[in-house]
Amino acid sequence: MELSLNEEQEIMKRNAQNFLKKECPTSLVRELAEDDEGFSPDLWRKMADLGWMGLILPFDYGGSEGDFLHLAVLLEEMGRACAPSWYFSTVVLGAQIILEIGTEEQKNRLLPPIASGESIGTLALLEPQSKYNLAKTDTASNKNGDDFFIDGVKLFVPDVHIADWMVCVTRGQGKNGGDPGLNLFFVETKSPGISTTLLKTISDDKLFEVKLDEVKVPAENRLGNEEQEAAQVQKILQRAALAKCAEMVGGAQMVLDMSVDYAKQRVQFKRPIGSFQAIQHHCANMLIDLDCSRYITYYAAWLLSEGIPCEKEMAMAKAFTSEAYIDVARLGQQVHGGTGLMEEHDMQMYFRNAKASALALGNATFQREIVAREMGL
Amino acid sequence: MDFRFSPEEEKFREEIRDFLDTSVTDELVEEVERGTEIGIGPQTWELMQRMGERGWLAPAFPKEYGGLGATRWQQFLLSDEMTYRRAYPLHLCGVGIVGPTLLQYGTDEQKQEYLTRIARGEIEFALGYTEPEAGSDLANLQVRAERKGDFYIINGQKVFNTGCHFSQYVWLAARTDPNVSKHKGISLMIADMKTPGITVRPLWVMDNDRTNEVFYDDVKVPVKNLIGEENRGFYYILTALAHERSFPTGDLRRTFEEFVEYVKEEGLGDDPLVRQSVAQLATELQALQLLAYRVTWLVENHTSPNWEAPMVKVYLTEFMWRFSNAATEIMGPYGQLRKGSKWVPLVGRIERLYRHAARRNISAGSSEIQRNTIATVGLKLPR
Repeated sequence: MELSLNEEQEIMKRNAQNFLKKECPTSLVRELAEDDEGFSPDLWRKMADLGWMGLILPFDYGGSEGDFLHLAVLLEEMGRACAPSWYFSTVVLGAQIILEIGTEEQKNRLLPPIASGESIGTLALLEPQSKYNLAKTDTASNKNGDDFFIDGVKLFVPDVHIADWMVCVTRGQGKNGGDPGLNLFFVETKSPGISTTLLKTISDDKLFEVKLDEVKVPAENRLGNEEQEAAQVQKILQRAALAKCAEMVGGAQMVLDMSVDYAKQRVQFKRPIGSFQAIQHHCANMLIDLDCSRYITYYAAWLLSEGIPCEKEMAMAKAFTSEAYIDVARLGQQVHGGTGLMEEHDMQMYFRNAKASALALGNATFQREIVAREMGL
Repeated sequence: MDFRFSPEEEKFREEIRDFLDTSVTDELVEEVERGTEIGIGPQTWELMQRMGERGWLAPAFPKEYGGLGATRWQQFLLSDEMTYRRAYPLHLCGVGIVGPTLLQYGTDEQKQEYLTRIARGEIEFALGYTEPEAGSDLANLQVRAERKGDFYIINGQKVFNTGCHFSQYVWLAARTDPNVSKHKGISLMIADMKTPGITVRPLWVMDNDRTNEVFYDDVKVPVKNLIGEENRGFYYILTALAHERSFPTGDLRRTFEEFVEYVKEEGLGDDPLVRQSVAQLATELQALQLLAYRVTWLVENHTSPNWEAPMVKVYLTEFMWRFSNAATEIMGPYGQLRKGSKWVPLVGRIERLYRHAARRNISAGSSEIQRNTIATVGLKLPR
């Protein structure tokens, strides 16, 4: 058994941390959050130049074929920096679905520009009625000649305002009277009939309502040759949920670091508050939550990298880490006292980020249901 | 990262399983599960001796003292497999605490005298630390050891000294110098429980276990039984506590698996609240397992798990409580039935775990003390 990162992963972690400290300080994060556009082409280009966009794409499509552990290491650092979600939207959500479902022709056409950083994308998944149940997808895709026409409303679509494309999930016709299937499309965001509205959210993440009004998509942009099973798509999304865990681990680590530093410096009653057991026990609980989250996340990431089935372990990771990050952020807020509540302080950014992350890609309750199912309950 | 056991370790695990398949009987499990009520019973002594023959009882000891010179992972697998079969006596103080400390600080004579007999399953030690005024504040202990010639004369009272009614020896902490600061006047020594002047009285614990009050009345302990240097005892105790902090989870896993089967058989698995609760417990058990791996991994890599082991202690014992609390809740009125009741589910193990867990959150360093360590050692918060 070997529980540490290997040398290559350690170097990557250190480089990512240094890069983000310099190029993506929280002052920039805050600036981008306050701006409705909220995009830095300069930062995007620099991340692409480091090869991050193709990190887990195969060599054939311009990637560097890293495994899921590499991705986890990088995302942990992004979470630590509270970095904007463009990377996650493009690389983890959009590109992964194209890679899993796309035909060889589609992958050859669509993935290399992603790997090189020329193309930014996202995923249009949820709908007003569907919550996180893909079987309830209502957006229609009707075939007419060589084209499909998409009609419906998508919600919580991240970063669509800067995206060149989105993977759009629509209702299928269903096969053999079973569950209705899904049709997934690669849709260019400039297509006529698309309108977007920015949603105001707890974390200032750029999430949108996207209306699709008879949006024409050529048949060649239907991902894969046929309808997909909802359960299968959900399975692919579980990897994104695990990727989210890595981000959350990084965020929780940052909260703990900030809180411990503050507890050592802040003096009340003529003592650093970190010498009081009430504060010490808060911090100890944060460290327990953090370490459990880290190991449960990296264990699943390792299983995935090794090609070992891990539906249960991925769901466990997201269930645990979602609640742990929230607990860590809440305790961190408590340690910081009034100071941490101020908008000018970073602490409250992570507090808000924790809730948004926990709700993304299946909250703890949703994930525990998967765990129960996998246990044979 | 690699969370796999090596092929050699897997092979060792198979050997252990084969041995336990033929060695663990229902009667043995029954005896072990009576815990410290009887301590180490006749069947348990026999199993320990059979393990001792293979070097499996004290696998960490060097071969010359009856061990295997085993790796930490081999030790982990042994205790993991044994606890999973419910065949592991709760307190193996000789193997876990006395042996490692003697190997580090003992005289050659002491090593010869005790180590091989521990490893063969012939003798056991009880811890003689806690006193009425020295619980979490262990350094405050008052039992006196006055040197007179070749002997220490021991006087005073100990409490919650659990193994004293079935062990041949006590691993005794006593004050040898009352005139220095309290950490610096404590010595550690071995006393034979048959020595005149030692009186053991039972204290019954709410989880059916037994612990003791022990009175020392002019008890003579030979000076050659002193461990290491006089007045350095408190520091040896701290070292030994690190050895005590390996917590096998096999029995807990087994009980959880049986509980999941119970939920399925009773048709409770359709209830969304039950599903949520059981899935949460399974998730926490997974986290616990990984934290326990980390401690073994650190020690194997020559790093002392000074705050990582306390983290397992807190998480394990608090998980015991969350599990037994949730499981008895899911069982409804049946959750209160004790072993022996006609309608009791799962032989009453979970009901007993509920009582046992409360104790485990306190014994061997309460959760609060562990959190102090995590904060001050792990996070370097000021004391």
